[in-house]
Amino acid sequence: MSVARVMTCGEVEALLDAFVDAELPAAMLLAVARHAGACTACDAVVRELTTLREVVERSVAAEAEALDLSRVWPAVSQGIERHDVRVEWRRRLRTVPAWGVALAVAASAVLWVRSPGPEPQRVAARPRPNQTVIERIDSSGHFELRRERKNGTTLIMVSADGDPAGQ
Amino acid sequence: MVLGLAVATVVLLAAAHAFALEVQITTVRAAEHGPSDAQLIDLRPRLRRLVGYRSFQIVGEERRRCVWQTSEAFTIPGGRLLHVMPRAMRDQAVVMRVKLMDGSRALVDTDVRLQNRGVMLFGVDQDSHAAQGALIIMLRAED
Repeated sequence: MSVARVMTCGEVEALLDAFVDAELPAAMLLAVARHAGACTACDAVVRELTTLREVVERSVAAEAEALDLSRVWPAVSQGIERHDVRVEWRRRLRTVPAWGVALAVAASAVLWVRSPGPEPQRVAARPRPNQTVIERIDSSGHFELRRERKNGTTLIMVSADGDPAGQ
Repeated sequence: MVLGLAVATVVLLAAAHAFALEVQITTVRAAEHGPSDAQLIDLRPRLRRLVGYRSFQIVGEERRRCVWQTSEAFTIPGGRLLHVMPRAMRDQAVVMRVKLMDGSRALVDTDVRLQNRGVMLFGVDQDSHAAQGALIIMLRAED
């Protein structure tokens, strides 16, 4: 479409919305404005559209101001921070040398292989053949307890001529 | 009638015998020098470690069935008495009271829990008569 000639009302009508929103190229904006300046009908439509646009803008602005965004921004902020942390880790990982990654993988594999399986069920210690438990002991003289570890043999050694008062 | 009483007595005696603990007391003389009894060869290293002497000879042995909750007195060579009273079986161990008397004096009075068929030892050291060695009393209990 050539903008050098005067545009017709039909051509301008198709461009009016874009004209009001200033979305047309400068030359076309100028052509539409020139036509509207000379055409009362198109000028009226332009004014209506402009008024409507301003009303809508004010209405949207008022609704936007009425919105409670106090809970939105902290969440958005946290999301941004998490994203930043991920980006930072990716950046650090990219700087880790390949041999470091290989070493870490090898260490993890060793730990996995060497990690114990399920805890084996503990078996109660088998009593030794001569295991003896002294629950009480009194003596009129000196006595000494001796125990042999292998079989648990216990010896209570008393002194026949010990001091009857002591132990 | 008489026959019935005799049978009942025999049955009661058999029951008492069955519900008793077999106690074996072996008395051993331990000395610094001298031979050891062949019967004690297997035990000698253990006795040697526990008592410290080199020669071990049996000087008395007695085996008796002891009724539960009843005290039995075993005479030990040298005039002492070993009183054994089996009290109960607990976790495969014999719970008993053992008292070693030297006249009216209790050298040892103890409550022990000995593994069934196990052996425990009492030793009487003769400190002032080292040449005489020591007397070892081996107590074995079997349910």
